[in-house]
Amino acid sequence: MKRSYLIPTGICLALASPALAVERADVLDTYADIAAAKYEDSLIAAQRLQSAVDALIANPSAPALQTAKDAWLAARVPYQQTEVYRFGNAIVDDWEGKVNAWPLDEGLIDYVDATYGGPTDENAFAALNVIASPEFTLSGTQVDASAITPELLSETLREADGIESNVATGYHAIEFLLWGQDLNGHEAGAGNRAWTDYATGDDCTNGNCDRRGAYLKAATDLLVSDLEWMAAQWADGGAARTEVLSDETSGLSTILTGMGSLSYGEQAGERMRLGLMLNDPEEEHSCFADNTHNDHYYDGLGVQSAYMGEYIRIDGTLVSGASLSDLVAETNPELDREMLTRLNTTMMALGRIKTTAEAGFAYDQMLERGNSAGEDLIMGGVEGLIDQTRSIERVVTALELDQIAIEGSDSLDDPNAVFQ
Amino acid sequence: MIRILAALTILTLPTALAAQDDAAMVEDVVNSHILPRFEMLAERSDHLADIAQETCEATAPPLRTAYGEAFDAWVAASHLRFGPTEQDDRAFALAFWPDSRGATPKRLAELIADQDPIANIAEEYADVSIAARGFYALEFLLYDPAISTMGDATYRCQLVRTATQDIAATTAAISRDWHEDYAARMLNPAPDGTYRSENEVLRELFKSLTTGLEFTADTRLSRPMGSFDRPRPTRAEAWRSGRSARHVELSLDALNDLAIRMAGEGTDLASEFNTAFAYSQTRLARLDDPTFSGVSAAQGRLRIEVIEQGVQAIRTLARDELGPRLGVAAGFNSMDGD
Repeated sequence: MKRSYLIPTGICLALASPALAVERADVLDTYADIAAAKYEDSLIAAQRLQSAVDALIANPSAPALQTAKDAWLAARVPYQQTEVYRFGNAIVDDWEGKVNAWPLDEGLIDYVDATYGGPTDENAFAALNVIASPEFTLSGTQVDASAITPELLSETLREADGIESNVATGYHAIEFLLWGQDLNGHEAGAGNRAWTDYATGDDCTNGNCDRRGAYLKAATDLLVSDLEWMAAQWADGGAARTEVLSDETSGLSTILTGMGSLSYGEQAGERMRLGLMLNDPEEEHSCFADNTHNDHYYDGLGVQSAYMGEYIRIDGTLVSGASLSDLVAETNPELDREMLTRLNTTMMALGRIKTTAEAGFAYDQMLERGNSAGEDLIMGGVEGLIDQTRSIERVVTALELDQIAIEGSDSLDDPNAVFQ
Repeated sequence: MIRILAALTILTLPTALAAQDDAAMVEDVVNSHILPRFEMLAERSDHLADIAQETCEATAPPLRTAYGEAFDAWVAASHLRFGPTEQDDRAFALAFWPDSRGATPKRLAELIADQDPIANIAEEYADVSIAARGFYALEFLLYDPAISTMGDATYRCQLVRTATQDIAATTAAISRDWHEDYAARMLNPAPDGTYRSENEVLRELFKSLTTGLEFTADTRLSRPMGSFDRPRPTRAEAWRSGRSARHVELSLDALNDLAIRMAGEGTDLASEFNTAFAYSQTRLARLDDPTFSGVSAAQGRLRIEVIEQGVQAIRTLARDELGPRLGVAAGFNSMDGD
């Protein structure tokens, strides 16, 4: 039945291709299956992080802190690949601020260096330091923070005073608690928090080690429960899966909205080009852990994965199926080649940033004023992402989805407007 | 393959005549909307740099006047974010705003405290953070009570001169590239060109209109409103120089001009656009609140919200009426994302 919709005349089948037609519904199934796998992987990796954090708090030591850091880095690999699902899927976008909000005014959470400054024009709580404050006043209300619980973080501190940079939960809050501030400026090196920030008794450094441990535990437990929730939304019968599968046209539009919005406005613009133009190491996505090169790389990989309908799970198994690429190739093989080539070009450029950073030329250094090699590396990624966005727009036109407003912010503000 | 052919037929249904009309429309927009704006911007920026050589005192009336005129010209062109403005980060270097983390005062304070010699030469100044360049940084240097009096007066004077020269060089380059190169690319789409078809050109222009409207509604108007309990008047654009409402006015005028040219003068759609723009324009003219400080009180907030909703209505009109007529959708823009 679907085939007759796709191929209005029998001639087309004979002329175009001997292969079976690609079903739009199958493309959407693959998209949802890959989402389920990615969020489940993110959950598994976060549970490993949770075990490592529990071990650190129970028996603080330098190796225990390092184990937790390694688990955090591993947890980012599947999660960053899910970011392509954020735009277009309102259910993901409404939720993602809990787990991946950035940038943050970290002084809200814990002690910071004197150069950090105090409250800013925009944020009166930029230097609140909850870990050192069992009690404080927030927007006129007295807050009892004597026990640091997941509820305190998610209901009171998150976006306190209506300020987005009051990030109290998620990967980047945990990152700050594991690494501490990166005080190396444009030099190589990540944050250098001592394991003794979690030590007991007289070994405790910078005060309130028990409260710091409680904060880290609460934030990690929240991350796990938030990921559990999202993984369930993509399982069979889950709300996110049901929404995507409910309408073929809007479902395909969702895939392409995610690819285009992440590629262009978010990654090429907000995250990469802006940081470069500002020459500001604080504009790094993972500034505490110095992991920004990986954030960019896995974001790009997620976009490619959404088009190709392929994902390698963290246990090495391949999830794949009918893809957008197959669908485009059926009617416009040239455009499919163009799209695939540009996605590859971007991955090559993002790969160069990653390998160079791993070889010792840190992303902070690439951002430095007048560092032309670093600028070229980052701009290579930016240009790849901009070029691939133009091809994504051509795919939208080729699949006749272009009478739907696919502007990312529309989909965020008013998803119904997009899918009308 | 047949589906694609069918699609193309639908999109270009009124065929040859429509194609001619589209080409004439693009020519009109390029020659009468785009090019004059970038010429004006380059001329006024050049004049600003000249004046700054004569007088660099932050409070000097001739300097402030020249600054205001050049900034006006930028706002009237600021929706045209493609091609020459995006080359070498030019538009970002002219206009880094909003600045939610306060990077502009931070970077300027660092330059002044260090007396960083990079401010001595305009060409080198192009290497500094965009937060310390362009019209919004210059506003701090001329109008912010702290930055405009900070540190050594001679150094600050040099900074003003260099920043204006940097602006002049950037705007001259944009204007030159439009005239020598980019206008022709838009007027002659070709399979191996920047624009492969007339349709891609139309989409670019349509995107400028919708993105410009989005920026004015969401960033210039909504952002300072904050929430009802927590208004954010210091998020208003260029409030230090009292230009917040003026920027909305200038941008609406420019976008109105573009919308009419794209809809076709004298058409029903053009008159719908005029009505829709007039709704916000007349309410803005009556507002008498140049910095949107009124967002802090219920009454003032409501009046600004009404203007903002008027701009959202223009966006809807563009999306639902103009887009389908041109056979294009907005595509992706730089405001997608967070």
